[in-house]
Amino acid sequence: MTAALAEKNGTDAARPPVRDHRTPAAHRRGKPGRERAFDDVPRWQIYVPLGIYLVFTLIPFYWMFLFAVRPAGSTSLVPWPMTGEHFSKVWNERSFAVFFQNSMIVGVCTLVCTTLVALAGGYALARFNFRIKNGFMLALLCSQFIPGALMLVPLFEIFKNLQMINSLGSVVIAETVFQLPLSIILISGFIKNVPVTLEEAAWVDGCSRFRAFCAVVLPLLRPGLIAVGSFAFVHSWNHFLFALMFLSEQDKQTIPVGLNTLIGADSVDLGALAAGGVIAAVPVVIVFAFIQKWLITGFSAGAVKG
Amino acid sequence: MNISKTQRGRAAAAVSLAAVLALTATACGDDGSETGTEGSGKGEITFWDNNGGPRTAIWTEIIKDFEKKYPDIKVKYVPIPIADVQSKYDTAIAGGGLPDVGGVGTAYLANMVSQEALDPLNDRIKGSTLNGKLVGSMVDGVKAAGGRGDDMYSVPTSANNGVTWYRTDLFKTAGLEAPTTWANFYKAAEKLTASKDNKFGYTIRGGAGSIAQAIDAAYGQSGITEFWNGDKTTLNDPKNVAALEKYVALYKKATPAADVNNDFTKMVAQFDTGTIGMLSHNLGSYQDHLKALGKEKFAGIPNPIGDGGTRVQVSNPVDGLGLFRSSKNKTAAWKFIEFAASHKWNSKWNESAGAIPANTEAAKDPWISATESTELAAKALTDGSTKIVQLPYYLPDWNNISKADNEPEFQKLLLGKVTAKDFLDKIADELNKAQKEWKEIGNG
Repeated sequence: MTAALAEKNGTDAARPPVRDHRTPAAHRRGKPGRERAFDDVPRWQIYVPLGIYLVFTLIPFYWMFLFAVRPAGSTSLVPWPMTGEHFSKVWNERSFAVFFQNSMIVGVCTLVCTTLVALAGGYALARFNFRIKNGFMLALLCSQFIPGALMLVPLFEIFKNLQMINSLGSVVIAETVFQLPLSIILISGFIKNVPVTLEEAAWVDGCSRFRAFCAVVLPLLRPGLIAVGSFAFVHSWNHFLFALMFLSEQDKQTIPVGLNTLIGADSVDLGALAAGGVIAAVPVVIVFAFIQKWLITGFSAGAVKG
Repeated sequence: MNISKTQRGRAAAAVSLAAVLALTATACGDDGSETGTEGSGKGEITFWDNNGGPRTAIWTEIIKDFEKKYPDIKVKYVPIPIADVQSKYDTAIAGGGLPDVGGVGTAYLANMVSQEALDPLNDRIKGSTLNGKLVGSMVDGVKAAGGRGDDMYSVPTSANNGVTWYRTDLFKTAGLEAPTTWANFYKAAEKLTASKDNKFGYTIRGGAGSIAQAIDAAYGQSGITEFWNGDKTTLNDPKNVAALEKYVALYKKATPAADVNNDFTKMVAQFDTGTIGMLSHNLGSYQDHLKALGKEKFAGIPNPIGDGGTRVQVSNPVDGLGLFRSSKNKTAAWKFIEFAASHKWNSKWNESAGAIPANTEAAKDPWISATESTELAAKALTDGSTKIVQLPYYLPDWNNISKADNEPEFQKLLLGKVTAKDFLDKIADELNKAQKEWKEIGNG
């Protein structure tokens, strides 16, 4: 009776008793086994390796930041005095304002297209059984082994015949196509984790399949959508090859192509290159800073259980 | 009416197949070998700059002036990053979409000529204001690089030259003579090295672009002036082997250990941050040194003179402008090439690039002698004091042999995993085969 009442009230009394395997000492400290093991490790054994890893990770970024804000000719190892001349040069003189805008359009459109198509494909793979399903999954996996460069000439010809060369749309389509296999596999994993009974309950209440999907399944896919979307955005933001090959007008080019034009045949303006690198890195850093939590949840839920 | 799943599947398959076939059929468009037309001499032409970015400002100026002179012609400027220009051209040759005019270096000219992407320009030059006004050695270089006898597939615009950049302040402090000879070079490399203080006499190119520099050092010391002896290359001549052994022995002894991955950007950055005494590069990095070190702290001279008393250098790529065969407006495209290679603009372009003009009148302009390194390089190329070993840029395999195939081998050489002899024998063998194949298809 108490248990039933507790269950109703959601208290611990409703749960079956859990056997405590902790040692008496750990019991005295009142911590479960795994936490105790973590607490017993001296702090330096955790922070020193982490610190070393961080140094290796952050030095290239520091180098980039240093060169970006240091006046030309300075050999100082600290970013002082600071200058904005390199940022001003790449943003205004080297058209990075335009490249940034183009990259943003490509990134956001790829994100939207990839997510929408992956949702549809992933749903089909998760909820329907059809004859070539396994073969289709295998084909999706195999497509990951094909490098983009191999498809360059056929894609170029197709876009040329569709009058899409020099259009950002060609890059969006190419990026979406190359992002889709992994995205579909990931999304189908997420959808499989949503009990089909939830959808069935919505159908019983009068929802269509689409309405049930939107009302019941979609909200539960948030970590997966964020993972897939951010992956699509970051990949298309950084991708160089398609933008270089399909876009032959200066005002259509994207940030990675712009960055490469800062390296000449025989000379390189390191300050401008570093400033361009900082500009290119900012959106990616912001995206990851905001979605970090969802990204980890998303990948652990979709990728492992898929 | 009920449509079975099988029927629907068949219908979907048919539609998909039709779409694929339609796309495949329509994909049979123009490629690089399509013959274009002379056109009306008016309208829009597209120009691909093969060193887009660093040269954008000067090309914008040239185009503005050109459009002022020819108001009926508009030039669409497309900057292409230098590192990827060959793959961009190759994709456009295979898939279509080539420009009317493009910057073409001799390093990849043969590859484009062999794909029939460019028009020969001899007749156009004969009937133009450029006739007789192009530096002879550069014309020869372009003809040789095209690999089709006397046919010229680009109008040369500029040439670069190997330069030994050195820190005059460090040399003065150490009481060293300028590295005008190889003996002085090795002496300075050793004396300026204090590896404990992170100071090194020299920086060696171990990464991208290492092969040409290593070959330059080998011929420069050996004094051999011909690349071919009949059908066999002189590259693995014992004198070159000995010279290369001496040169790579500098690695880690007088250079940073990280040089094994050095491309030109890292070399120039190291030199400009003040830890290196000497650097072998070309005229193109002058502005970088000037910005970083100031005029007083460095100087640039042509490569050192060998023991035989003669300066020997390998040929540097000549840059030029090519007219694409698929152009639909060749008349307007040629006007643009002629304009860009004229005295005024060839001079201005080369002044901004720190290179040597191909226009004979531009080569006499006062700015050439204003910078010692440029003046000496120009003299080295034109006064006969320097013997130039012509590298076989005309071989379609040259880029593979001198880059992807053997740059990792040079790293092995630096790390002591192969000998200089084995390294040069391997390249020589590949070059001999490439030369034989090239001749078998009716060249040379």
